[in-house]
Amino acid sequence: MTERRGSWLVVAEQELRDLWLAGRGLPLTLAFTLVLSVMTYLTATNTALNFLEQRESVNLTLQVAVAVGALLVLLGSADALSGERERGTLESLLLSPASRLDLVAGKALAALSIWLVAVLAAVPYVWFLGHGVGLVAVAVAGGLVVGTLLAVFLMGLGLVVSALSGSNRLSLSVCLFVLLALFAPTQLPGGAGQGWVGELIQRGDPMSSGLHYLGKLVVDAHSTGQDIAWLLAPVVAAAVGILATVAAARFLTLRGGTLS
Amino acid sequence: MTPAIEARGLTKTYGSLVAVDGLDLEIPQGIVLGFLGLNGAGKTTAIRVLTTVLPPSSGTFSVAGIPSTRPRDIRRAVGVLPESAGYPERQTGEEFLRYHARLFGHSRQSARTRAGSLLAEVGLAERGRTLVASYSRGMRQRLGIARALVNEPEVLFLDEPTLGLDPAGQRQVLGVIRRIADGRGATVVLSTHLLGEVEDVCSRVVILNRGRVVADGTVAEIVRRAAAPGRVRLEVAQGRVEHAMRALEGLPAVAAAQANGRPGELELTLAAESDPEAGVAEALRALLAADVSVVGLSLEGRRLSDAFLAMTEGS
Repeated sequence: MTERRGSWLVVAEQELRDLWLAGRGLPLTLAFTLVLSVMTYLTATNTALNFLEQRESVNLTLQVAVAVGALLVLLGSADALSGERERGTLESLLLSPASRLDLVAGKALAALSIWLVAVLAAVPYVWFLGHGVGLVAVAVAGGLVVGTLLAVFLMGLGLVVSALSGSNRLSLSVCLFVLLALFAPTQLPGGAGQGWVGELIQRGDPMSSGLHYLGKLVVDAHSTGQDIAWLLAPVVAAAVGILATVAAARFLTLRGGTLS
Repeated sequence: MTPAIEARGLTKTYGSLVAVDGLDLEIPQGIVLGFLGLNGAGKTTAIRVLTTVLPPSSGTFSVAGIPSTRPRDIRRAVGVLPESAGYPERQTGEEFLRYHARLFGHSRQSARTRAGSLLAEVGLAERGRTLVASYSRGMRQRLGIARALVNEPEVLFLDEPTLGLDPAGQRQVLGVIRRIADGRGATVVLSTHLLGEVEDVCSRVVILNRGRVVADGTVAEIVRRAAAPGRVRLEVAQGRVEHAMRALEGLPAVAAAQANGRPGELELTLAAESDPEAGVAEALRALLAADVSVVGLSLEGRRLSDAFLAMTEGS
């Protein structure tokens, strides 16, 4: 009658069903593809006019895909626990024999699925812009690696903030603020990023360093190992994301409110 | 026989607020326990501690013979309808129950079977495939009770199952609870403010006040222990109510006499320590001596609600 199966798998299955069959997964993906369509159109038309080199147009689209995909993961995970709490459904989950780590891990998987779908959705755009110059495989692989590292980091961040937040609104606000702060170094004007302080900030910020690595890979046609040091911050961030996911399970309480 | 619930010195504090204060309980198996208290008395917190959703600040407990050091095993053995439980609006009732059945280790097929039988048990068989968003509050409460039964619990906690329901919804939910209590042999802990229903359904009552147990026993024992005052409804000739009240003034057996708003009627509250029958006799003698004709009289039994109010007075 009963089967021994990890509760996290049961939670993940239900979360995936809620997200993709009855929830926001499909509308978010549609919005994501719309953004990519606009980006691709703009870069493709600029390429045709020779304003933008083909490699640069692929890089631009890829960076938008990674950034928006990571943002969607953050939104999904920021809602995961505080949303259950706000809807009054968290107590029923806590009353099941599933451990809190099982509950959080199942939700983490569902949040990560947003990124995986975003990658799949981005492939045709990258192919459209990059075919003919042998760029598609390296761009997709690079985007997948960098995006996955960033997505794991943001997933953990979202979950831990969500576990600590007394309300869903607070959780989303804190996460968006942190995301903007992480993206800020990517917007530094050229000169500001060139001193040792600028480089330190860019290397230390997982967003900036990850996108920088992608740029070297795609635009400058560097080999995968040539700028590997730029992946240090995203790798460390992903490890922090995994630790944060475990911490979210420890911080998960009925009331939350530590951040309120 | 191992008690269904045993707690020793169970305390839960939030900063300086003591929500549950040294709770001592020993609840035998197979009974329906009324868990009473004013709002904020600590009932919900006590239930959350006993069901391992909240950790206790101090003290020990066991539920279904399982010590608090094994919270996952306790959760396997209990069913809970939480106070103000929420429900996923985008799931159907059946899907919701299947999900929770699988969290309790049921296989896909067995979860489907279990969900179907529980929906039938709580009278939702025909609505099982519609979204929870379309359910009335009463239907949601019944769905919540079904969820609490998904693991065939040995101890069932129902926290305010009739809260916010209209009389028809209350009747339906109480009907379900009665059927569960009669048919399953599980221990049921019923936290409610419907004291009349507690008198009907519960074989034992615990009253909490400011986080402490102030009464524990059968309804009759608690009423007697509380020395709750008896009440007498008197009907006298019209226009003689004032006269009757003057005649009853100062009688040792009568704590209070007042008109109840209906013509010719007044209500007496007997002194808490008095024997009700002797008190009525004394009142009748005084009325006859004052030439007040008594047209009707009914002695109302001492009620749980009176005992409850007496024991929680001042909170």
